[in-house]
Amino acid sequence: MSFAFQLCLLVLFLLAGFGAPIAHSMIVAAVVYLAVAGQDMGLAAEQIIQGIYDSFIILAVPLFIVAANIMNEGTISDRLLEFCKAAVGRFRGGLAQVDILVSLIFSGMSGSAVADAAGVGKVTINMMIKSGHYTPGFAGAVVAASATIGPIIPPSIPMVMYALVSDASIGYLFLGGVVPGLLMTVSLMAITSRLAHKRGIPAEEVVPLRKLPGITFRALPALLMPVILLAGIYGGATTPTEAAAVAAAYALLLAALLYRAVTWQSLYNVFSESARSSASVGLVIGSALIFNYIVAVENVPNSIAALIAYLDLPAFSFLVFANLLFLLLGCVLDASTIILVIVPLFVPACRVLGIDLVHFGVVTVVNCMIGLITPPYGMLLFVINGATGIPVKNIVREGVPFFFALLVSLVLLILFPELVLWLPRQFGYQG
Amino acid sequence: MSATLRWLRARADNVATGLLAAMFLAFLVQIVSRYVFNNPLGWTQEVCLTTWLWLVFWGSAFVLDERDQVKFDVIYHWVGYRTRRIFALVSAAALFAGFLASFPASLDYITFYKIKKSATLGIRLDVVFSVYALFALAVIVRSALRVVHLLRGGSLADHEEVPTI
Repeated sequence: MSFAFQLCLLVLFLLAGFGAPIAHSMIVAAVVYLAVAGQDMGLAAEQIIQGIYDSFIILAVPLFIVAANIMNEGTISDRLLEFCKAAVGRFRGGLAQVDILVSLIFSGMSGSAVADAAGVGKVTINMMIKSGHYTPGFAGAVVAASATIGPIIPPSIPMVMYALVSDASIGYLFLGGVVPGLLMTVSLMAITSRLAHKRGIPAEEVVPLRKLPGITFRALPALLMPVILLAGIYGGATTPTEAAAVAAAYALLLAALLYRAVTWQSLYNVFSESARSSASVGLVIGSALIFNYIVAVENVPNSIAALIAYLDLPAFSFLVFANLLFLLLGCVLDASTIILVIVPLFVPACRVLGIDLVHFGVVTVVNCMIGLITPPYGMLLFVINGATGIPVKNIVREGVPFFFALLVSLVLLILFPELVLWLPRQFGYQG
Repeated sequence: MSATLRWLRARADNVATGLLAAMFLAFLVQIVSRYVFNNPLGWTQEVCLTTWLWLVFWGSAFVLDERDQVKFDVIYHWVGYRTRRIFALVSAAALFAGFLASFPASLDYITFYKIKKSATLGIRLDVVFSVYALFALAVIVRSALRVVHLLRGGSLADHEEVPTI
């Protein structure tokens, strides 16, 4: 590790630790590196500009953000909610189960955990609190935990980022997320059912079966969205980036024409809000690319790979080590920072050890999503706190059983790569 | 925030929103043209990438405020007010110095592209890339204002009201 690189890391940690925006800190750290290493400082601008301008796949990120915001603006989430209430409201802890099922379906349309929690999650929290059977902390914890499913079931913004830094196929990554997403859903529903029995939380009123077809029909166009997305990508018709645009267009058509729930003003607000989120995420992606350039020049990932080969570490121990590290980092760092900056350091090591990059990617994204609900830095905790005013401390306390339920899913995914790789292989994945 | 600044900021927001909408529309045109009319277009792809580049830097320069940024502020919120002031001052000064020091070289890089035009629309690439210079300039001005504000004893909370530029 050169002196310039040590200085670069020091500046990055200091600035980020002092609360400067992560993206700006990475740019300044990169400039320090270039200056000390005697290279052209314009390289920082070059890397960030070319990184954003040349990469077509990142365009999926703003498009998925638009799609999710449109769905939250229209009545699409409401219709889904009604459908899920009819489907699982009859079980103990009905509303909590409804929330988990809504998250599962919503995750098939949106690639963002935050969109899930801030949109439909906010609605289910209010319903749970109003019913009087759930403490606000419990309601917040269920929503936070279930929102983590969002980016596991395709589409997925974090998986697009992972594909960008690892060169793994987005299509297979998306497919690889399906079974893990279902696994997380099942384990969250199981723990909710157990807690509901223990606390005597009642079921919702049973929706008569004869009403079910009508409710399903009302929700059908929304339920079709995941089908359209996946058929488009795996039928080979569209690229994942185009599928993101189709998803946004479909949501817009539904909300505007079929459900007549969008006005020009609300449409403007959706695009304005999405533009902010996109710019903020885009800047982090761009500056992470400069940083990755430096890390590559310094040969860090290959040194790590060589070290791991030298230590003769079994692939499994490496996976466990990497996951423990990501879980710890997840407590203090943003998921996109981990995926864009930390994960690339380990990708060559995976290649050396023969770890499948789709398996590693899906496991990593699941891991980082758990990081969204672990304090002190848990994005979902902040979003729910911001949207509902429920204190973070209460959500965290009630969230412990859900955290363990998700952790069990993660461990299963690490132990049995088949859970991730089975579905992609059915679609011709050679890994 | 003064009325003029607020007005400017609202217009900056219009531009960012328009860029995203344009990108979205270009995508739709591309998809319809390719799959419905079986006639793949080249220019739509370029519009998407150009509007995306502009959205990221324009938005970061003129639209995002402090709370929109991705940050690691656990320590920042944990320390006392005096220490927090020092943190803020050091961050702002470092951002100012870093972006200012690399500004001439960045400008060199951008202007170098005046000889090259974009692939399908033929826009000069220095024009396309100039938005990075706008962004860097905005960071320089903003962090300079913040340093001055903090050195004069201005409070941290005030800063939340200091406009993006």
